[in-house]
Amino acid sequence: MLEIKDLYASIHESPILNGINLKINSGEVHAIMGPNGSGKSTLSKVIAGHPDYSVTQGVIEYEVNFKKINLLELEPEERAREGIFLAFQYPVEIPGVSSSVFLRAAFNEICKHQGAEEMDPLEFDEYLRKKMKLLDMDEKFINRPVNVDFSGGEKKRNEILQMAILNPRFAVLDETDSGLDIDSMRIVADGVNKLKSKKNAILLITHYQRLLNYIVPDFVHILVNGKIVKSAGKELALKVEEKGYDWLS
Amino acid sequence: MIVKNDQLSFISGLKEFEILVKQESPLWAYNLRKESLDRFAKRGLPTVKEEEWKYTNVASLKEHQFQIASDSSKMAQLKELKAYYRKEEINLVFINGVFSEELSNLKKLPKGLKVADVNDAALYSQKEAAFVLQRYPQDQDDSFIALNKAFLYRVAFVQIDPKTVIKPLIHIIHVTDAVKSSVSSFPRSLIMLGKSAEAQVMESHLSFSDDTYLTNALSDIVLDQDAKLVYCKAQGESKNAFHIGTTRVWQERDSQLDSFSLMTGGKITRNNLNIVLNGSGAHATLNGLYLINGNQHVDNHTAVDHRPPNCTSTQLYKGILYDAARAVFNGKIFVKKEAQQTNSYQLNKNLLLGPDCRVDTKPQLEIFADDVKCTHGATIGQLNEDEIFYLQTRCIPKSQAVEMLARGFVDDILNRIADESIVAKLNKLLAEYFQD
Repeated sequence: MLEIKDLYASIHESPILNGINLKINSGEVHAIMGPNGSGKSTLSKVIAGHPDYSVTQGVIEYEVNFKKINLLELEPEERAREGIFLAFQYPVEIPGVSSSVFLRAAFNEICKHQGAEEMDPLEFDEYLRKKMKLLDMDEKFINRPVNVDFSGGEKKRNEILQMAILNPRFAVLDETDSGLDIDSMRIVADGVNKLKSKKNAILLITHYQRLLNYIVPDFVHILVNGKIVKSAGKELALKVEEKGYDWLS
Repeated sequence: MIVKNDQLSFISGLKEFEILVKQESPLWAYNLRKESLDRFAKRGLPTVKEEEWKYTNVASLKEHQFQIASDSSKMAQLKELKAYYRKEEINLVFINGVFSEELSNLKKLPKGLKVADVNDAALYSQKEAAFVLQRYPQDQDDSFIALNKAFLYRVAFVQIDPKTVIKPLIHIIHVTDAVKSSVSSFPRSLIMLGKSAEAQVMESHLSFSDDTYLTNALSDIVLDQDAKLVYCKAQGESKNAFHIGTTRVWQERDSQLDSFSLMTGGKITRNNLNIVLNGSGAHATLNGLYLINGNQHVDNHTAVDHRPPNCTSTQLYKGILYDAARAVFNGKIFVKKEAQQTNSYQLNKNLLLGPDCRVDTKPQLEIFADDVKCTHGATIGQLNEDEIFYLQTRCIPKSQAVEMLARGFVDDILNRIADESIVAKLNKLLAEYFQD
């Protein structure tokens, strides 16, 4: 579904990613772990298309309708419409924009792109409430401005709610577990597991092994200094938890 | 007795005006006009050399001849006007400065409420009203207050008896439709709330044309002890119009003002809002919004005068500028020596979305008491890149993201207005900027 080939990226001319290769198939869950500053979040932002990062080499091939396109040539919103989703490590607060208006606008962009009919506010409200139940979210949330005065846990839940609404083919979850207490993490992980299918793929970016007990990966990759230094099955995460990263570099 | 004067070269029709008002006027009104005219003649139009007018140049007024409006010639855009206001509310409609009985709705007013278009003579019979008209020291009138008073004739008068709560919106509407020539109008309002009275009053200054004209408005508001007023001034004038207005609010003990100013029309706008907190426990909220584009210029000046102890005031003025628009914000807070325990907050936030727009913002504090809490600040900036990116990752294209964030910036302050009918009207004036 998605293949990263020899990817180099930098921000303000300092290199962060130094030749990443990664292949992800439909139905798979991959986890990327690594020490602080290894380039985990940069990778997620480059996939989503953040304008601050410049890709100096490499491609990200992405399969759309059995054809391969280079994701790097698309604007962020075009990537999103093709089914790329990023759950932010630090979701942005947007004062004055109500969650329901924002989510409906996003959802209808996908409808438009797929040639489906857009939902009116009433229909969407019903759809939204169904998805909110999945994540055990308070109804009050609908009319509140996006992420404003949300707790850390609510913000993360809101990210997964957006994932549920947009139903992406390839989702990157950037440190979705950070700042969550154990109950919230269970709810978020349950939500993600319900959204997982044979047709989509998930890339988990995480610091700790903890999340991987709840969302079990097929593959674990270790990122150090902008390069994947080791890839293996889920047992690799346990080893890292025990030994740290030093033995790998 | 009105003598044509060089300083008044931009106003015409003085003689006709004098004939119009001569017969009905009591002596005090006659004197007030004469003294005010003399004062204006002496002062002339303010120049950018004066600190108060440093960023707003009104010299271009002299390139025009504004006929004093005296007849309500047929409104061409009646449909637009009728779509703007609600028939079932209490409406006081003026077209080109002249009261329109047909469009107003003053029959069957609730008990304890007087709303009328009155002339100065009628006001004279009301000692209290006459007192308010002369409450502020005349020699401190600035050029445009003096000019407005020089043409005092009709007054939009709202009076609410003590302990009376008026639920429906009281809406004073000034529409200019200068079909024949450039006109000038001098709207004057007087809004008085008795002890423990409550009401919501909106003043709209509108045009559905792109005519060139001058509106020089003066509104006086008096809140007696424990009175509560929601007040909104909405300015949606023609984009070629000059709008220069002052609203003065006088607040007695424990009274509450919740005010909102929207400035979105006009070529050159100056809007002053001056509050005197005269009784302890009084509170004033001054919120404002300006959205302008092209070469529009909007200047908001606020002044809050904390005189006795234990008063509070909060101000939030937000603005979005497109193209080469220019905005000025000047907010003064005075805290007198006796005004201990004052709590005052002021913030001005600007979003610059045009390549050539400019903002001059100047918050000012003058504090003479030692036990007070005052904060103020201003921000000028562009949209946050991270917010735009966040929306893009949710499928929303950049141009739409920009509009959505601008809309959010606006809604953040509009949402503070509790009355939906007011918000609906303000949104109509902003329709140019937002798709829905």
